[in-house]
Amino acid sequence: MFRQPRPPDPDQDLVTRAQQGDTRAFDALILKYGDKLYGLVYNMTSHKEDTHDLLQEIFARAYQSLGKFKGNAAFYTWIYQIAVNLTLNFLKKRKRRSSLSLNDMESSVQQDPALIDTAHEANPEKQTNLNELQVKLNEAMRKLSDPHRMVVTMFDIQGMSHGEIAKVLSTSEGTIRSRLHYAHLQLQSALQESWEERF
Amino acid sequence: MKPTVEQIGDLLALKRNERPEEGYWQDFLCEFHHNQRKQAAKISGFAGLSSRVTDWFSDMSPTKWAYGAGLAYAVATAAFFLMPREVEQENTPGIPVNYQVVPSPPPVEQLNQLDLSPTTQGNIGEQVF
Repeated sequence: MFRQPRPPDPDQDLVTRAQQGDTRAFDALILKYGDKLYGLVYNMTSHKEDTHDLLQEIFARAYQSLGKFKGNAAFYTWIYQIAVNLTLNFLKKRKRRSSLSLNDMESSVQQDPALIDTAHEANPEKQTNLNELQVKLNEAMRKLSDPHRMVVTMFDIQGMSHGEIAKVLSTSEGTIRSRLHYAHLQLQSALQESWEERF
Repeated sequence: MKPTVEQIGDLLALKRNERPEEGYWQDFLCEFHHNQRKQAAKISGFAGLSSRVTDWFSDMSPTKWAYGAGLAYAVATAAFFLMPREVEQENTPGIPVNYQVVPSPPPVEQLNQLDLSPTTQGNIGEQVF
């Protein structure tokens, strides 16, 4: 069996220029992946300041390690790996510190822009139901373990494929499917009560 | 009734458009470049050495610290025992001993000088201590 050749990295040009010291090329990479990484980190931390600090750290680490990037994986996969590792490490430390109070989390959730669904803004009752459901969903997400929440975030929220997630997490697609299955079961159970009330 | 996996997926997909507020990335880039310049200045100077040492230590896990401490202790102990010790010699000039050897009397005379008589008068066979 022959392995299919990997498609060329769409970021190759920007990466090469950044490696040669072109800071504007690296800025372009930040702007290209910033929103996606923001979504990933914010859904893992549920805290805006932590998300900001972590993103600074992620891009700084990537910038400093750019010389070591040999293009064995796509830049997109590589920077996601950095983001995942730093975020999981951060969450471990935060759990040890237990500094983030429940109130901090709740205030973050209240400001969550995803809670405002423009499609239902005209129907306040439906919007209220949806908001309550989203709050329950956020609570259920936080109860998942970090690796399970990471997989759900990348698959359901960010729309990444099983294969892409497996590459980022350096694991098999089977493991990703299994984690997703378990996480979905957990979320279904957590939302059951609210779902029955609403529908 | 539980929501289906698809329904959960739809709910989660609403979070897909989660983005920071307008102008966030401009500020982010300014801060990023400021931090990079600070870092570069730190590394180019003498502070670079100390920062690298600090980084090196901060990267060490508690296990590595324990190994390091154990190794340092072993080295210090070995050095303590293996270090050659200098015998302390006083440099003060020797003082001649003013001592005259007096010849001791012959052993028989010494015996005679001893008082071997009983200490108290008692009956025969009775020992008095």
